[in-house]
Amino acid sequence: MVYTKKHPALLIMGVIFVAIAFLTDSGSMAGLIEYLSAKKYVGEMVAMGYAFGAIGVLVGLWHLTGSHEEGNLDYYMSSVAGAIFILLVAMLIRWYLAPLVAVMSKAIGPVMGAKYLHQVLGLNYVVLGILAGIIIVNVFRIPAWAENGVRLSRLGLKTGVILLGTLYSLAELQSLGKLSAIMVGFFVLGSVGLVLMLGRMRNIPNSMAGVLSAGMGVCGVSATVAAAPVVQAKAVEIAYTIGTILIWGVGCMFLFPVVGHILDLGHVQFGAWAGTGILNSAQVAGAALAYQPDGIETLKVAEIFNITRVLFLPIIVLWLALWYVKHEGEVEGQKIKVGTVIFEKFPVFVLGFILMFALSSTGVFAPAQHYKGKYFDNNVKESKLLKDDQIATLNAEAGKLQREDRKLALTRMLENKKIMSIDDETVIRGIYNAKIFSKGANKVLKGATKAVRHTAKKISKFRQWITLLFAFGLTGLGMQITFAAMKQAGGQPLVIGGVVGTVKAVLSLIVIVLFVHETI
Amino acid sequence: MGEEKHDSQDIDLQEEAGAKFHRGSALSIFHSDRAEDFIALLCAMLIALGVYIMV
Repeated sequence: MVYTKKHPALLIMGVIFVAIAFLTDSGSMAGLIEYLSAKKYVGEMVAMGYAFGAIGVLVGLWHLTGSHEEGNLDYYMSSVAGAIFILLVAMLIRWYLAPLVAVMSKAIGPVMGAKYLHQVLGLNYVVLGILAGIIIVNVFRIPAWAENGVRLSRLGLKTGVILLGTLYSLAELQSLGKLSAIMVGFFVLGSVGLVLMLGRMRNIPNSMAGVLSAGMGVCGVSATVAAAPVVQAKAVEIAYTIGTILIWGVGCMFLFPVVGHILDLGHVQFGAWAGTGILNSAQVAGAALAYQPDGIETLKVAEIFNITRVLFLPIIVLWLALWYVKHEGEVEGQKIKVGTVIFEKFPVFVLGFILMFALSSTGVFAPAQHYKGKYFDNNVKESKLLKDDQIATLNAEAGKLQREDRKLALTRMLENKKIMSIDDETVIRGIYNAKIFSKGANKVLKGATKAVRHTAKKISKFRQWITLLFAFGLTGLGMQITFAAMKQAGGQPLVIGGVVGTVKAVLSLIVIVLFVHETI
Repeated sequence: MGEEKHDSQDIDLQEEAGAKFHRGSALSIFHSDRAEDFIALLCAMLIALGVYIMV
């Protein structure tokens, strides 16, 4: 079968990208950009417009005029059209539609405290991109020339997750790793156990309970497909499970950010909740970016939880294999080899994430001691030094400090009007995280730490790449969410899945609100 | 129109042991998850190299 279609669509999309870049660069779109308050995207519009435009025009000409034969070149190059299609939809939403929605929402005025309607509902480029994908696949259709490219979106998400490894410092990873291992360990194992228990109570087949427990406990569709052979799940049982997971996951992806905004959760809290409570990896990323579209702090936390959850996959597959044998007896031709199961089911992209983190830790992208992508340098401008009134504010509250190291770090800072060392900066950060001082004094401390922290240029570039890859992956994800897949859900699996999913989401939210704070 | 909608709804249709089901949102152009993982790793390394050299 020849996959490449002789169709002008890719060429036309390439020309559209080039036109956007040219018109933006020449200033012809300045009025529109001003109206949309979209100046921060001008650099992207020009650089990405020319880059994607060039790819679109060149490959589009080859698609249209070249002769194509069956083979790997045809199969993989045919995906360029779909990839550019996803990118065009994602970027038109990011650059124009999402800013327009924000302008309209602001015209209505605040609806909940100081928040606008689009902020409460999370109507940003991520959510709108996923929605656009869902509408395209279900109301219109994915054009035949784009179908292969739509299948590239998960590759984009995985590449984004691997690159996220460059953004963590050792301190962050240690704190988040411990928290996620405890939270995810408890809730993953708890969900699997609860599904198996409810399955026996409701008398559904063991194969059905087994495959549903993997999907509800670990990481959605991938876990379902991985666990299906060891519990001898039938296609109809896989279909029931995927339908249940998809309905639950898509619902959570849109609902979690709204609940998070209503409860005013911090980035760490929301990331931890999404990473624990939402089932599919892609939907975890979607919810995290929907909650914080202009930064990736929430995504960073959510992905650590998600990766921890994915790491549980081999353990769960083993558990289910042993559980199935115990309840159904040894199945002919099926011998469980622990080592083989772990090797086959281990997600290699997680190793990529760890590799990228290790590489980043050597200091090749930013000074090795960076914290949240920022490194310490106290050669600051005169204007960034502490002012007399700020020093007076801190002096007035210095007596509240009990610990000697905190007193000394503050004294050194007040004498020099800036933080003097990376150790002092850690101590000062500890003071404002502990909320010992008043809000005003804490603001001064926060400003002082910001003044000596500088964003590494390479880390900034990685952030842009990660944002692009996730925007691409999530818009493409929307184009795969079909009503036909969700209609597969029903019967006992839907009831059990709904109960377990709700219990997990509510319990994890309670634990996070009570015990997780913004101190990581 | 009916035929076109049918095509698009079947984008995730998978066949296993003679039975068909919708795979949902985990489609891939690669023959296995592991192959996709390695390609993602390669893409990430290429991007990292590009950032290291050019920025």
